[in-house]
This record gives sequence, structure tokens and C-alpha cells, in this order.
Amino acid sequence: MNDLTLVRKNLFRKKLRAVLLMVSILIAFLIFGVLGAVQNAFSFGVNTAAQERLVTVNRVNFTVPLPYAYWGRIQQVDGVRDVAPASWFGGYYQQPQNFIQAFAVDPASYLAVYPEMVVPADQRAAFIEGRTCALAGRALATQYGWSVGDRIPLMSNIWRQTDGSEAWDLDICGVFDDLEGTYPTNYLIFHYDYFNESLAYGRDSFHWMTLTTVDPARNDEVSQAIDELFANSRAETATSTEAAFNAAFMEQFGNIGLILGLVVSAAFATILMIVGTTMVMAVNERTKEIAVMKTLGFPAPRIFRMVLGESLLLSLLGGLIGLGLAWLAVSGAGAAMAGVMPGIALTTPTMLTALGLMLVFGLVTGLLPAMNAMRVRIALALGKI
Amino acid sequence: MKQIVSVTLLNLRSIPQRWGMSLATVLSIALVVGVLLGFMAMANGFRATMQGAGGDDVAIMLRGGSMAEMNSVLTRDDLRLIEVAPGIAQDADGQPVLSAELYVVVNGVKRSTQTEANIALRGVGEHAPALRPGFTMTAGRMFEPGAGELVVGEGVLREFAGFDLGQSIRLGQNEWRVVGVFSTGGTVFESEIWADIGVIQNLYDRGSSMQIVRARLTAPEALEELSAYAEEEPRLNLEVLSERQYLSRSAGGTTNLIMFLGWPLAIAMAVGALAGAWNAMYASVDARTREIATLRAIGFGGFPAFIGAMAESMLLALAGGVIGAVLTYLAFDGITASTLGGGFTQVVFDFAVTGDSVVQGVILALIVGFLGGFIPALRAARVPLLAVHSD
Amino acid sequence: MTDATPLYELKGLSKRYMRGREATTIFDQLDMTISHGDFIAVMGPSGSGKTTLLNLLGGIDAPSSGEVRFEGARIDNLGQGQLAKWRAANVGFIFQFYNLMPTLTAAQNVEMPLLLTKLSAGERKKRVKTALDIVGISDRAGHRPRQLSGGQQQRVAIARAIVADPKVLLADEPTGDLDRATADEILQTLQLLNKDMGKTIIMVTHDPAAAKYARRELHLDKGRFVEKELA
Repeated sequence: MNDLTLVRKNLFRKKLRAVLLMVSILIAFLIFGVLGAVQNAFSFGVNTAAQERLVTVNRVNFTVPLPYAYWGRIQQVDGVRDVAPASWFGGYYQQPQNFIQAFAVDPASYLAVYPEMVVPADQRAAFIEGRTCALAGRALATQYGWSVGDRIPLMSNIWRQTDGSEAWDLDICGVFDDLEGTYPTNYLIFHYDYFNESLAYGRDSFHWMTLTTVDPARNDEVSQAIDELFANSRAETATSTEAAFNAAFMEQFGNIGLILGLVVSAAFATILMIVGTTMVMAVNERTKEIAVMKTLGFPAPRIFRMVLGESLLLSLLGGLIGLGLAWLAVSGAGAAMAGVMPGIALTTPTMLTALGLMLVFGLVTGLLPAMNAMRVRIALALGKI
Repeated sequence: MKQIVSVTLLNLRSIPQRWGMSLATVLSIALVVGVLLGFMAMANGFRATMQGAGGDDVAIMLRGGSMAEMNSVLTRDDLRLIEVAPGIAQDADGQPVLSAELYVVVNGVKRSTQTEANIALRGVGEHAPALRPGFTMTAGRMFEPGAGELVVGEGVLREFAGFDLGQSIRLGQNEWRVVGVFSTGGTVFESEIWADIGVIQNLYDRGSSMQIVRARLTAPEALEELSAYAEEEPRLNLEVLSERQYLSRSAGGTTNLIMFLGWPLAIAMAVGALAGAWNAMYASVDARTREIATLRAIGFGGFPAFIGAMAESMLLALAGGVIGAVLTYLAFDGITASTLGGGFTQVVFDFAVTGDSVVQGVILALIVGFLGGFIPALRAARVPLLAVHSD
Repeated sequence: MTDATPLYELKGLSKRYMRGREATTIFDQLDMTISHGDFIAVMGPSGSGKTTLLNLLGGIDAPSSGEVRFEGARIDNLGQGQLAKWRAANVGFIFQFYNLMPTLTAAQNVEMPLLLTKLSAGERKKRVKTALDIVGISDRAGHRPRQLSGGQQQRVAIARAIVADPKVLLADEPTGDLDRATADEILQTLQLLNKDMGKTIIMVTHDPAAAKYARRELHLDKGRFVEKELA
């Protein structure tokens, strides 16, 4: 027997009570873990986008197209290395509900700008060569059961071909993966030339350009040079880092972080009150026992530590189980939703924060009862005055 | 009955003795209800803004398969065919009451965060105001056809900086002047900026194309007639919907997302609060074991003890539910927010704590109270008589 | 320390309480000496200060004025932490209602005071066994207090009091909650501890029959001693 034995026995003195408290702590950490994973998904684009890549869009708004000729002109800007133009395709597969994120791109430059996309060498070559080739992300290919060699009609709810058709027939020439969950694989790219040649309207324009510079330190300078190049033209540009661009887009949904933060705070406030008051009550019930321990010669600081240890043990038990459940839920949901919302994952920082919260929570809920326990006056508590 | 009343009163009178736990139970239930109502207020507000706008006697026509206004393209030829379609109301001059519309997305700077966000700049025809119920100019005047003039919705004015009356705005290459402010009574149209459709087509290289045609129907039933016409006319590829259908479809995704997030969170938190309530009730029953046993010994039945404990639990839960609802109402009702709506542009809406959602919140609280009190109350009913001697 | 130094010396001891607004004086200028190996039964009517005296001797209450010396060293001016250490090393307590930890087994209860020593787990186990043997309750080592009779619980409590080998045992009505036969067994055990193991015992009791087991009786009345030597 040691102090931990005493701590454990005291905690589980009323088993039902301990289990109920653990359940409420568990729930709070489950919520924390799951919402942390959701928040991670929202900031995924910001984290993964190389802080070094730049994005150029129309100054009016990124949905307003830019002329095709800009591609060549931007390549001439001093300090620019690779430039990848892309058009938003607004695709769907078979049913309008099966929304597909698809971009019409220049294959070679796109793959040069996004080294995160991992493609086997033969598939890469095939994709660049084949005019009707498409490269699908792993999550997307899995979702629709596509494999290399399949031919799929990709419909657009925006574009139309001159013959009135809204479908582009694409060959899946390759499937791209990512490096260790750092890049979304829920989209598809195909040849801009193939897309553009039969367009009924909106030909020779694109929606955005992603570019890299020879030296990230020159990014500001290059951004300015590009925007100045097109200043006072019919289509002015706005260039920013890809991270900033993605963050601004996510921001448009509203302050997700604030909402999630409020919910997590509410959950923690709830258990703080429940566990806090119960611990105070539980220790009060034991006043007499604490007085006996003091009589036996247990010093006050040691009793303080034991009560604190009890609330810490409770917090860690409930918290770790909750975090474990969150991990299970997130792994399940993350796989199911990889196609729609990539990046749902419990990250190490989230888990470390959770651990820190468990410790803080344990200390906070234990502090008052521990003080009470430490201050128990023997003669008074034993009813002998 | 007398027994039940007196035991219940004994229970309620004992609440202050355990005020810490009772208060924690009440507040934790209040927080659960608060979270639920917060999400519901968000969803309801958004839905009200979107659907409040939708009339049954207004038809929306967009290109078949395009799903959303933004993706749709209609030509002048399409418009000519629509103008002669049956079921569309006519004005005093015998002209069909319809508005060909085209919007582009422009950047505005949000007041709250100073970040750029999408606003719809909509080019409209002369009948557009007549097709929005409750449309009024609250300041200034309507734009002149063909001029570089804008009127802005009140929602835009609230959420975005730089759109005050009389101000000049540069959107891309073009200078615009704000000549008026309009209201549509809080509906989604207030989140837009309007200008003459001819000017928009010209400035954004859209030729003579448009995205949708909005038309006043002679009666809601005329929608079928119009649909049938569009179906049978081989030169038209149109999707015809009532405005209500169209806007519910656009609102549905966001509203469902909010609800799908809100309910599971509230239920998870309710389980946590349930543990708290259960605990508090056990403490209550434990504290009164001797008292209950004494009552039993002098002839009271077990049932009043059960009811007494249940009443205490339900009352705490009810208090929590009401406090949660009131606080949510005070904190959230009427708060303005905006998010990305169906048209890829910001929709400005007000949180709405509705009576219906308050009822649901209080019911959730009572369920927590019921489940939390049930087992401890059973225990109260089964207190053995010998417990009279317990200390 | 020599035998010349008494175990306890109380000099000019006073204790007053505030009861509401009224000050109650329990002791006023009390002097007393207790030598090694004594077994004293403290008797007297309710409110005469028996328990207060025990609390002062045990260092769980402090006098209003005066000195309490234990083996020549003052304990009345020690801090809470020092007192705790002193109690752990020198005093064993036995209570009327046993005051065992309900969550622990008999053996674990007895082991409690040893957690305050540096003894190894093996050594602790041995000592617990010995203590339980002395009070004759080894066969109940694995039982929880709730599974034991009053007499058995008090035996466990005595084992707990002696396990750390203190010099003095302070017992507050140790037989107050027990029937006659059981009380006699407990008192015989205490007598044994005093005679064979040299423990000094100070026992507060109401019961004249219990007091007979002591070497001498002290009668407290209104804070004054009336001593009675036993044969």
C-alpha cells in the first residue's frame, strides 16, 4: 500500500459517483477532441499550403476570371519560377448531387507547383502526355471506385461545349497520393487545352494561378510586381500567399474558431461545476477520516497532495478515455469524409493541449477540496471539543 | 396525495442545504440548453432570412442542370421565349412582370474582421423591386438605368464597410456611386448590391447573357403551366422553380449543417449534465436517507419518497432549462452574423431564438432531469426502515 | 534521556474556549507529571475536561497558556507540521468509535501509520502482522471494518496505534461502545501492552470497571485533579 492506493480507494469509494463524474469528464474531452479535429479540417488549407506559394486572382473577386494571356506575362516577371493556371470546372459525376471538385489545369506546371502530389512516374508521364487524361486524388478515386484506365464522363454545371454537351469524357491516367496526410486528395485535375477548345463561352480565361518564386524571401516583391503589371487594366489582379488566400476563404464561413471555442468552453464550464462541487462534497464527507489521518501524524501538505491527486486521477482517467473515444470517432469520420472535408484528424498539438487541460482541470477541481482537507481541525472534526 | 405533497415540500426545502451541487446541476443544464439554442438560433435565423424571401407566386428560371444561379447562363433568345410564356402576370402596360438578373461576386471588407468577403453585385431590370415583397428605399433613390450607380441592401451596410450613401466605390476597374439604400424586411436580398443589368453585362464582358429570370406568376398554380411550357419548347433548357423552393434548396445545406452539428453536441453535453444531475440527486437522497426512513417508519409509503425526489430533480432541470433559454435569448437573439450562402456570397442574417426552439430546449432539460432523478428516486423509495439508525 | 526525566510534565496549564460570547475555562493553572510506564485512567463527569486533556497530551490542541513537556521538550509551541511528525513518532491514538478507514482492509488500516516511516514494503508487512498478532486479530486481516464486530474493530484500531511502536497510547473511551465481555477483553489487551511492552497509557473513561485495569485513577472535576492510587 502507498499513497496512490489511498487516493484510488478514496476516489472509488462510491463507485457510481466516480463513474458518473468520469462520464461527464469523458464527454467534455470527447467534444474537445472531435471539435479540435474539425477545426483542424477548417485550417487544413492554411497549414498545408506552402507558405511560400503565391496565388493570383482577379482583384474584383476570385470567381471573376482572368484572361489566358496573363499566364505568359506572369512567367516573364522577374523572380517567378513556375506558374500554374487553373479554371474552376464545377463538376459532377452522374448526378448533380455527386459534386466533384475538378480543375482544368496545365498539367506540367501544376505538378511542378504542387510537389506534395505524389504520382508514380509512369502515371505522371501518361497524364502529361494524354490530352483527355485526368489525375484523380486518392480520396476521390476511392469514393467513386475509379481506377487507372477508367473512362468517365465528367459533367459541368457551369460550362457547355459548342455542341451543347455538358460532359467532358476523361480517362483516369493516374491517381495521386499525398505525403502523410499533409495535402487534400479529394479533387481531380485535367488538361486545360482539352477543356478550353470546345467551350461554348468563357474561352481563353482562367480563375486563378498558383506560382512559386525562385526565393521565398522575394515573395512580397514578386507579388507587387505582378499586381503592378496589370494595374489599370481591364482585369486587375490581387496576389497573396496561398495560406493567406485559403485563410480568407475559410473566414467567409464565419468565425468557426469562435463558435467551436464557445462550445468547448460551455462543455468545460459544465464539468468544472459538476466535478468541482462533487469533489468538495466528497471531501467534506470524509472530514472525520482526514482528521484521523492527521491525528496519526499525516502532515497537512501530504493530505493536500493526496486530495489533489484524487481529482487529477479522476480527470486523467475521464480525459484519456474521452480522448481515446474522440480518436476512434475521428479516425472513422476522417476516413468517411476524406472526399468532402479532408484534414479531419486529431493532431499531436490538439492531444497535448487536451493532456494539459486534463492536468489543469484536475488541479482546479481539486484545489478547493484539497485546501479544505488541509485545513481540517482535528479536535473539531472528531467532535471532541 | 397529502403524503406526496408533504414529502415533496420536504425535498424542495432541503435544496438550499446542498446549494452547491444543486446550483451546479442547474447551471450545467442551463449550459446544455444554451448550446442547443445557440445553434438553433443560428440555423433558424439563417433559414428565416433565406426562406422568408421566397414567394410561391414568383418563379425562378435557370438553365437546366445548373443547380445554382451562379452556374446558370441564359441568353437573350431564352429571354424572348420566356417573355411570351403563359402563367406570367402582366403589368398595366401589358408587359410581363419579370426581371432578367445577373450577378457577379465582388469583394467587400467586413466591418467585424476587416477581412475581404464575397458580396453579390446583382444586375437587375426595372421590375426587380416589384418582385421582392416588402421592398422599400430607406434612403436615397433607385439607380438610373445605364448609369454607374448602385443601391445597397441594409444587410450589406451593416456588415461591410465603405458602402455608405453618396460614397464612391472602386470595384476592379470601375467607379460606382452609392445612390440609395434598400430594405426588403430582413430577407436575403438585403445582403446584395444592385445595379443596372446592362451596365453589369457590359463591364463584366457578359454580352447579353443573364443567369436567371424571375417572374411574377398570375397565381401560385400557374407554376405548372409555366413548367409545362418550358418542357415542351424544344429551344428552351430551363429549370423552373418557385422562389420558395429555390431558396429552401439553397438554405437547406447550411441549415442542416448547423443542426447536424448542434444537436449531437447538445446531446453529448446533456449526457455530461445527466451525470451531474444523477450525482446531485444521489447526494440529495443520501443526505436524507434517515429522514426518509423515519417517514417510512411512521407510516409513509415509498411512492411519496419517489415522487418527492423526482420533483426535486425535475424542478432543478426546469430551472436550468429556463435560465439557459433566457440567457441565450438575451445573449444571441438579434445578433447579426453573416456566412457564405448558396450563391457563394455572404448572407447577412440575425440569430433568432424562436419559441419553438425554446420549447425543445426545455424539453431536453426536463429529459435530463427525469433520467437524472429516476434511479436515485427509486433508491429513495426503497430506503430500508433500519436506516433510521444510520448516522 | 534518563528515567529521571518524566514522560509528560504539565506546568501552569490553562485552557479556555469561547462558547458563543461566553468564555469557558476548562483548566486553570494545572500541573501534572506522568512517568514512563504508567497506565492512568482519567475519570470525571461530562465537561470536566477529560478529552481536552487528552487532546493537549496528543498535541492536537494547544493550551491557552502554560507548558506541555514530553520527555523534557516542549510540544505546546511546535508548529502543525512538527507536531504531526512528533505524533507519528511518539503517540498512538485509540478512539471510542474506532475511526478506521472504511475503504481499507484491517491490515491496510494498521499499515497507515507506517506510511509515515521510511520502512520498506516488506518490513511494513512484517510489522503489521506482528501488531495484528499482538491484539489477536490476524485471522481478520483481509476484512473491511464493516465486516467486523465492534470489538474486532477496536482491536484493529489498537494494532494501528501500536504498529509504529510509540511511547504512549492515548485512549478516549476505548470501551464506551462495547458490551461488558468485549470491553474486558480490550482492557486486558491494553493492560498487557502496558505491562509486557512498557507502553505508557492514558485512558479517558466513564466506566469505573474499566478504570480498575489502570495503575492509577485520576479524577478530574472542574479542571482539578483528585488522585486515587490503586492497589
